[in-house]
Amino acid sequence: MRKSFAYPILFMTLITSITVFALAFLNESTAERVATLQETELRTKILYAFDIDLNTDDPVEIERIFYENIEEETSGEERIFILKENNQDTGYAFPVSGPGLWGTINAYVAISTDYDELLGIVFVKHEETPGLGGRIEEEAFLQQFRGLNVSSAEDGNYIVYRPATNGNVDAIAGATLTSQSVANLLNQDIDIFINARKGE
Amino acid sequence: MAKFKSTKILMDGIWNDNPVFRQLIGLCSALAVTNLCMNSFIMGMGLTFVTGLSSFTISLIRQFTPKHIRMMVQVLIIAVYVIIVDIFLRAYMPELSKALGPYVGLIITNCIIMGRAEAYAQNNPPIPALIDGVANGLGYTLVLLSIAVVREILAFGSLFGIQILGEGFVPWTIMIMPPSAFFLLAIIIWITHNIQENKSEVAK
Repeated sequence: MRKSFAYPILFMTLITSITVFALAFLNESTAERVATLQETELRTKILYAFDIDLNTDDPVEIERIFYENIEEETSGEERIFILKENNQDTGYAFPVSGPGLWGTINAYVAISTDYDELLGIVFVKHEETPGLGGRIEEEAFLQQFRGLNVSSAEDGNYIVYRPATNGNVDAIAGATLTSQSVANLLNQDIDIFINARKGE
Repeated sequence: MAKFKSTKILMDGIWNDNPVFRQLIGLCSALAVTNLCMNSFIMGMGLTFVTGLSSFTISLIRQFTPKHIRMMVQVLIIAVYVIIVDIFLRAYMPELSKALGPYVGLIITNCIIMGRAEAYAQNNPPIPALIDGVANGLGYTLVLLSIAVVREILAFGSLFGIQILGEGFVPWTIMIMPPSAFFLLAIIIWITHNIQENKSEVAK
Protein backbone atom coordinates (compact mmCIF):
# COMPACT_ATOMS: atom_id res chain seq x y z
CA MET A 1 0.00 0.00 0.00
CA ARG A 2 2.85 2.36 0.82
CA LYS A 3 4.20 1.93 -2.70
CA SER A 4 0.92 3.06 -4.21
CA PHE A 5 0.57 6.37 -6.04
CA ALA A 6 -2.10 7.85 -3.80
CA TYR A 7 -0.56 7.11 -0.41
CA PRO A 8 2.18 9.80 -0.44
CA ILE A 9 -0.32 12.42 -1.60
CA LEU A 10 -2.80 11.44 1.08
CA PHE A 11 -0.07 11.35 3.70
CA MET A 12 1.23 14.79 2.77
CA THR A 13 -2.27 16.30 2.65
CA LEU A 14 -3.15 14.87 6.02
CA ILE A 15 0.02 15.99 7.78
CA THR A 16 -0.16 19.44 6.18
CA SER A 17 -3.75 20.02 7.24
CA ILE A 18 -3.08 18.92 10.81
CA THR A 19 -0.09 21.22 11.19
CA VAL A 20 -1.73 24.15 9.43
CA PHE A 21 -4.72 23.93 11.77
CA ALA A 22 -2.47 23.76 14.80
CA LEU A 23 -0.49 26.80 13.68
CA ALA A 24 -3.55 28.80 12.69
CA PHE A 25 -5.01 28.16 16.12
CA LEU A 26 -1.78 29.21 17.83
CA ASN A 27 -1.52 32.34 15.71
CA GLU A 28 -5.14 33.27 16.33
CA SER A 29 -4.84 32.83 20.07
CA THR A 30 -1.81 35.10 20.31
CA ALA A 31 -2.90 37.65 17.68
CA GLU A 32 -4.58 39.93 20.18
CA ARG A 33 -1.62 39.91 22.51
CA VAL A 34 0.76 40.72 19.67
CA ALA A 35 -1.45 43.56 18.46
CA THR A 36 -1.63 45.06 21.95
CA LEU A 37 2.13 44.80 22.32
CA GLN A 38 2.68 46.57 19.02
CA GLU A 39 0.17 49.29 19.81
CA THR A 40 1.72 49.87 23.24
CA GLU A 41 5.16 50.04 21.71
CA LEU A 42 4.03 52.60 19.14
CA ARG A 43 2.35 54.69 21.87
CA THR A 44 5.53 54.61 23.95
CA LYS A 45 7.51 55.77 20.95
CA ILE A 46 5.13 58.59 20.06
CA LEU A 47 5.14 59.79 23.67
CA TYR A 48 8.92 59.69 23.56
CA ALA A 49 8.97 61.75 20.36
CA PHE A 50 6.79 64.38 22.05
CA ASP A 51 9.13 64.26 25.07
CA ILE A 52 6.43 63.23 27.52
CA ASP A 53 7.86 61.41 30.51
CA LEU A 54 6.70 57.87 30.96
CA ASN A 55 7.73 56.08 34.13
CA THR A 56 5.72 52.94 33.59
CA ASP A 57 5.61 49.75 31.54
CA ASP A 58 1.97 49.12 32.25
CA PRO A 59 0.01 49.07 28.96
CA VAL A 60 -3.16 50.45 30.56
CA GLU A 61 -1.31 53.34 32.13
CA ILE A 62 0.50 54.06 28.87
CA GLU A 63 -2.82 54.10 27.04
CA ARG A 64 -4.29 56.53 29.59
CA ILE A 65 -1.35 58.95 29.36
CA PHE A 66 -1.39 58.63 25.59
CA TYR A 67 -5.04 59.60 25.17
CA GLU A 68 -4.74 62.35 27.76
CA ASN A 69 -2.18 64.15 25.61
CA ILE A 70 -2.58 62.96 22.07
CA GLU A 71 -5.19 62.77 19.36
CA GLU A 72 -4.91 60.61 16.33
CA GLU A 73 -5.69 61.54 12.78
CA THR A 74 -5.42 59.51 9.61
CA SER A 75 -4.29 61.19 6.46
CA GLY A 76 -4.30 58.80 3.55
CA GLU A 77 -2.64 55.67 4.88
CA GLU A 78 -0.53 57.52 7.41
CA ARG A 79 -1.29 57.92 11.05
CA ILE A 80 -0.56 61.40 12.31
CA PHE A 81 -0.56 62.16 16.00
CA ILE A 82 -1.45 65.56 17.41
CA LEU A 83 -0.17 66.77 20.76
CA LYS A 84 -2.77 68.67 22.77
CA GLU A 85 -2.01 71.03 25.59
CA ASN A 86 -4.95 72.83 27.19
CA ASN A 87 -7.09 71.99 24.15
CA GLN A 88 -4.57 73.62 21.86
CA ASP A 89 -2.68 71.75 19.18
CA THR A 90 0.97 72.13 20.03
CA GLY A 91 2.69 69.55 17.88
CA TYR A 92 2.39 66.92 15.17
CA ALA A 93 4.10 63.55 14.95
CA PHE A 94 4.24 62.00 11.52
CA PRO A 95 5.89 58.90 10.07
CA VAL A 96 9.02 59.19 7.95
CA SER A 97 10.85 56.42 6.16
CA GLY A 98 13.59 55.84 3.66
CA PRO A 99 16.39 53.49 2.71
CA GLY A 100 19.11 52.94 5.29
CA LEU A 101 22.34 51.04 4.82
CA TRP A 102 20.83 47.54 5.09
CA GLY A 103 17.09 48.09 4.98
CA THR A 104 14.27 50.55 5.32
CA ILE A 105 14.39 52.88 8.28
CA ASN A 106 11.04 53.86 9.78
CA ALA A 107 10.77 56.69 12.24
CA TYR A 108 8.40 59.29 13.64
CA VAL A 109 9.21 62.98 13.71
CA ALA A 110 7.48 65.35 16.11
CA ILE A 111 7.34 68.98 15.05
CA SER A 112 5.77 72.08 16.59
CA THR A 113 2.59 73.40 15.00
CA ASP A 114 4.38 76.44 13.58
CA TYR A 115 6.87 74.06 11.92
CA ASP A 116 9.79 75.98 13.44
CA GLU A 117 11.01 73.47 15.95
CA LEU A 118 11.52 69.71 16.05
CA LEU A 119 10.17 68.31 19.29
CA GLY A 120 11.96 65.00 18.86
CA ILE A 121 12.43 61.97 16.68
CA VAL A 122 12.15 58.27 17.38
CA PHE A 123 13.06 55.21 15.33
CA VAL A 124 10.42 52.56 14.95
CA LYS A 125 12.23 50.06 12.78
CA HIS A 126 15.68 49.79 11.25
CA GLU A 127 18.20 47.14 10.31
CA GLU A 128 21.45 49.06 10.76
CA THR A 129 24.60 47.37 12.04
CA PRO A 130 24.30 46.90 15.81
CA GLY A 131 26.88 49.01 17.61
CA LEU A 132 27.58 51.19 14.56
CA GLY A 133 24.61 52.47 12.60
CA GLY A 134 22.36 50.93 15.21
CA ARG A 135 23.48 53.67 17.57
CA ILE A 136 20.95 56.02 15.97
CA GLU A 137 18.64 54.59 18.62
CA GLU A 138 20.81 55.86 21.43
CA GLU A 139 19.75 58.70 23.65
CA ALA A 140 22.81 60.80 22.81
CA PHE A 141 21.91 60.88 19.12
CA LEU A 142 18.17 61.35 19.57
CA GLN A 143 18.54 64.12 22.16
CA GLN A 144 20.16 66.33 19.53
CA PHE A 145 16.82 66.66 17.76
CA ARG A 146 14.94 67.87 20.82
CA GLY A 147 13.97 71.49 20.29
CA LEU A 148 16.09 71.74 17.17
CA ASN A 149 15.24 74.96 15.41
CA VAL A 150 14.54 74.32 11.75
CA SER A 151 12.94 77.66 10.82
CA SER A 152 16.04 78.90 9.00
CA ALA A 153 16.52 75.72 6.95
CA GLU A 154 17.51 76.31 3.35
CA ASP A 155 16.43 74.20 0.37
CA GLY A 156 14.82 71.62 2.57
CA ASN A 157 18.03 70.88 4.46
CA TYR A 158 16.58 70.75 7.94
CA ILE A 159 19.25 68.39 9.25
CA VAL A 160 22.86 69.30 8.45
CA TYR A 161 25.73 67.48 10.09
CA ARG A 162 28.56 69.36 11.68
CA PRO A 163 31.21 70.52 10.88
CA ALA A 164 29.54 71.82 7.71
CA THR A 165 28.51 75.45 7.94
CA ASN A 166 25.00 75.70 9.41
CA GLY A 167 25.52 72.22 10.84
CA ASN A 168 23.10 71.55 13.67
CA VAL A 169 23.53 67.85 14.50
CA ASP A 170 26.49 65.50 15.10
CA ALA A 171 26.62 62.40 12.92
CA ILE A 172 27.60 59.01 14.36
CA ALA A 173 31.29 58.28 14.04
CA GLY A 174 32.01 55.13 12.07
CA ALA A 175 28.52 55.03 10.60
CA THR A 176 28.74 57.56 7.81
CA LEU A 177 26.28 55.86 5.49
CA THR A 178 23.63 55.33 8.14
CA SER A 179 24.00 58.92 9.35
CA GLN A 180 23.65 60.21 5.82
CA SER A 181 20.60 58.03 5.14
CA VAL A 182 18.96 59.29 8.30
CA ALA A 183 19.59 62.91 7.33
CA ASN A 184 18.28 62.31 3.82
CA LEU A 185 15.09 60.64 4.85
CA LEU A 186 14.41 63.21 7.57
CA ASN A 187 15.04 66.15 5.26
CA GLN A 188 12.93 64.69 2.48
CA ASP A 189 9.92 63.68 4.53
CA ILE A 190 9.92 66.73 6.81
CA ASP A 191 9.93 68.90 3.72
CA ILE A 192 7.04 66.98 2.16
CA PHE A 193 5.05 67.15 5.40
CA ILE A 194 5.58 70.87 5.96
CA ASN A 195 4.81 71.77 2.37
CA ALA A 196 1.69 69.63 2.31
CA ARG A 197 0.48 71.19 5.56
CA LYS A 198 1.32 74.76 4.66
CA GLY A 199 -0.36 74.33 1.30
CA GLU A 200 -3.61 73.41 3.01
CA MET B 1 13.52 -1.26 21.38
CA ALA B 2 17.27 -1.34 21.29
CA LYS B 3 19.07 -0.17 24.37
CA PHE B 4 20.61 3.23 24.06
CA LYS B 5 22.86 5.33 26.27
CA SER B 6 21.43 8.79 26.71
CA THR B 7 24.62 10.14 28.26
CA LYS B 8 26.60 8.98 25.25
CA ILE B 9 24.15 10.63 22.84
CA LEU B 10 24.36 13.82 24.88
CA MET B 11 28.15 13.82 24.96
CA ASP B 12 28.34 13.11 21.24
CA GLY B 13 26.09 16.03 20.40
CA ILE B 14 27.72 18.49 22.74
CA TRP B 15 31.37 17.52 22.44
CA ASN B 16 32.56 14.50 20.42
CA ASP B 17 30.42 15.20 17.36
CA ASN B 18 29.57 18.82 18.02
CA PRO B 19 27.62 20.10 15.00
CA VAL B 20 29.62 23.30 14.66
CA PHE B 21 33.25 22.44 15.35
CA ARG B 22 33.22 18.74 14.39
CA GLN B 23 30.61 18.50 11.65
CA LEU B 24 31.07 22.11 10.51
CA ILE B 25 27.38 22.73 9.86
CA GLY B 26 25.09 25.53 10.98
CA LEU B 27 27.89 28.03 10.52
CA CYS B 28 25.95 30.86 8.84
CA SER B 29 23.81 31.60 11.85
CA ALA B 30 26.80 31.19 14.13
CA LEU B 31 28.29 34.15 12.29
CA ALA B 32 25.12 36.21 12.18
CA VAL B 33 23.68 36.28 15.69
CA THR B 34 26.79 36.13 17.86
CA ASN B 35 27.19 39.89 18.28
CA LEU B 36 25.27 39.82 21.57
CA CYS B 37 25.13 37.05 24.16
CA MET B 38 21.39 37.35 24.61
CA ASN B 39 20.75 36.92 20.88
CA SER B 40 22.97 33.86 20.79
CA PHE B 41 21.35 32.36 23.82
CA ILE B 42 17.81 32.74 22.50
CA MET B 43 18.86 31.54 19.05
CA GLY B 44 20.48 28.50 20.64
CA MET B 45 17.44 27.77 22.76
CA GLY B 46 15.15 28.16 19.74
CA LEU B 47 17.30 25.82 17.71
CA THR B 48 17.49 23.28 20.55
CA PHE B 49 13.71 23.30 20.83
CA VAL B 50 13.24 22.89 17.09
CA THR B 51 15.91 20.20 16.62
CA GLY B 52 14.72 18.21 19.60
CA LEU B 53 11.03 18.22 18.81
CA SER B 54 11.35 17.89 15.05
CA SER B 55 13.67 14.91 15.50
CA PHE B 56 11.16 13.44 17.91
CA THR B 57 8.22 13.95 15.56
CA ILE B 58 10.05 12.74 12.49
CA SER B 59 11.14 9.63 14.33
CA LEU B 60 7.59 9.10 15.58
CA ILE B 61 6.09 9.01 12.10
CA ARG B 62 9.10 7.52 10.31
CA GLN B 63 7.42 4.16 9.79
CA PHE B 64 4.44 5.72 8.05
CA THR B 65 6.43 8.15 5.95
CA PRO B 66 6.98 7.04 2.37
CA LYS B 67 10.75 7.03 1.80
CA HIS B 68 10.79 9.14 -1.34
CA ILE B 69 8.87 12.07 0.17
CA ARG B 70 10.57 11.98 3.58
CA MET B 71 12.48 15.22 3.02
CA MET B 72 9.29 17.08 2.23
CA VAL B 73 7.81 15.80 5.45
CA GLN B 74 10.94 16.73 7.40
CA VAL B 75 11.01 20.28 6.11
CA LEU B 76 7.31 20.66 6.84
CA ILE B 77 7.72 19.51 10.44
CA ILE B 78 10.79 21.68 10.97
CA ALA B 79 8.95 24.69 9.56
CA VAL B 80 6.03 24.11 11.90
CA TYR B 81 8.25 24.17 14.98
CA VAL B 82 10.13 27.23 13.75
CA ILE B 83 6.85 29.09 13.28
CA ILE B 84 5.85 28.10 16.81
CA VAL B 85 9.11 29.61 18.11
CA ASP B 86 8.51 32.74 16.05
CA ILE B 87 4.95 33.18 17.32
CA PHE B 88 6.08 32.59 20.89
CA LEU B 89 8.86 35.18 20.65
CA ARG B 90 6.55 37.73 19.05
CA ALA B 91 3.90 37.33 21.72
CA TYR B 92 6.02 36.98 24.83
CA MET B 93 9.49 38.36 24.08
CA PRO B 94 8.90 41.20 21.59
CA GLU B 95 12.28 42.81 22.27
CA LEU B 96 14.19 39.67 21.35
CA SER B 97 11.93 38.96 18.43
CA LYS B 98 12.90 42.36 17.06
CA ALA B 99 16.59 41.84 17.74
CA LEU B 100 16.67 38.47 16.01
CA GLY B 101 14.45 39.65 13.19
CA PRO B 102 14.66 37.43 10.11
CA TYR B 103 17.06 34.98 11.75
CA VAL B 104 14.28 33.17 13.58
CA GLY B 105 12.62 32.25 10.30
CA LEU B 106 15.98 31.18 8.98
CA ILE B 107 16.26 28.46 11.64
CA ILE B 108 14.32 26.38 9.07
CA THR B 109 17.33 26.39 6.80
CA ASN B 110 19.79 25.56 9.58
CA CYS B 111 21.56 22.44 8.34
CA ILE B 112 21.86 21.01 11.85
CA ILE B 113 18.14 20.25 12.07
CA MET B 114 17.88 18.62 8.66
CA GLY B 115 21.20 16.89 9.31
CA ARG B 116 19.99 15.33 12.54
CA ALA B 117 16.66 14.39 10.98
CA GLU B 118 18.38 12.56 8.13
CA ALA B 119 21.31 11.13 10.08
CA TYR B 120 19.59 10.09 13.27
CA ALA B 121 15.85 10.60 13.65
CA GLN B 122 15.02 8.77 10.43
CA ASN B 123 16.54 5.53 11.75
CA ASN B 124 16.07 5.65 15.51
CA PRO B 125 13.23 5.56 18.03
CA PRO B 126 11.61 8.82 19.21
CA ILE B 127 13.18 9.21 22.66
CA PRO B 128 16.83 8.80 21.57
CA ALA B 129 16.03 11.07 18.61
CA LEU B 130 14.73 13.73 20.99
CA ILE B 131 17.86 13.48 23.14
CA ASP B 132 20.07 13.57 20.07
CA GLY B 133 18.31 16.68 18.77
CA VAL B 134 18.55 18.46 22.11
CA ALA B 135 22.21 17.47 22.50
CA ASN B 136 23.09 18.89 19.11
CA GLY B 137 21.14 22.03 19.86
CA LEU B 138 23.05 22.44 23.12
CA GLY B 139 26.35 21.86 21.36
CA TYR B 140 25.42 24.59 18.91
CA THR B 141 24.37 26.95 21.73
CA LEU B 142 27.66 26.32 23.50
CA VAL B 143 29.72 27.36 20.49
CA LEU B 144 27.51 30.36 19.78
CA LEU B 145 27.84 31.54 23.36
CA SER B 146 31.60 31.16 23.45
CA ILE B 147 31.87 33.32 20.32
CA ALA B 148 29.30 35.81 21.60
CA VAL B 149 30.98 36.26 24.99
CA VAL B 150 34.24 37.34 23.36
CA ARG B 151 32.49 39.50 20.76
CA GLU B 152 30.20 41.27 23.19
CA ILE B 153 32.95 42.01 25.72
CA LEU B 154 35.30 43.42 23.08
CA ALA B 155 32.65 45.19 21.01
CA PHE B 156 30.41 46.69 23.68
CA GLY B 157 32.29 46.10 26.93
CA SER B 158 29.27 44.30 28.27
CA LEU B 159 28.06 40.78 28.98
CA PHE B 160 24.38 39.88 28.53
CA GLY B 161 23.74 43.61 28.34
CA ILE B 162 25.44 44.38 31.68
CA GLN B 163 28.35 46.78 31.39
CA ILE B 164 31.47 45.14 32.82
CA LEU B 165 34.27 47.18 31.31
CA GLY B 166 34.71 50.77 32.41
CA GLU B 167 34.04 54.00 30.55
CA GLY B 168 37.64 54.22 29.35
CA PHE B 169 37.27 51.08 27.27
CA VAL B 170 37.54 51.63 23.54
CA PRO B 171 35.20 49.26 21.66
CA TRP B 172 36.74 47.10 18.93
CA THR B 173 34.69 47.97 15.89
CA ILE B 174 35.82 44.82 14.08
CA MET B 175 34.15 42.69 16.76
CA ILE B 176 30.76 44.12 15.87
CA MET B 177 31.17 43.24 12.22
CA PRO B 178 30.57 39.70 10.90
CA PRO B 179 34.26 39.01 10.03
CA SER B 180 35.21 38.77 13.69
CA ALA B 181 32.94 35.74 14.01
CA PHE B 182 35.03 34.05 11.32
CA PHE B 183 38.26 34.56 13.27
CA LEU B 184 36.73 33.44 16.54
CA LEU B 185 35.04 30.42 15.01
CA ALA B 186 38.33 29.36 13.44
CA ILE B 187 40.10 29.77 16.77
CA ILE B 188 37.47 27.70 18.54
CA ILE B 189 37.71 24.94 15.92
CA TRP B 190 41.49 25.00 16.27
CA ILE B 191 41.45 24.76 20.05
CA THR B 192 38.82 22.03 20.24
CA HIS B 193 40.49 19.94 17.56
CA ASN B 194 43.76 20.19 19.44
CA ILE B 195 42.15 19.00 22.64
CA GLN B 196 40.29 16.19 20.93
CA GLU B 197 43.34 15.03 18.98
CA ASN B 198 45.55 15.02 22.07
CA LYS B 199 43.00 12.87 23.79
CA SER B 200 42.81 10.33 21.00
CA GLU B 201 46.62 10.12 20.90
CA VAL B 202 46.75 9.39 24.60
CA ALA B 203 44.13 6.73 24.07
CA LYS B 204 46.35 4.98 21.54
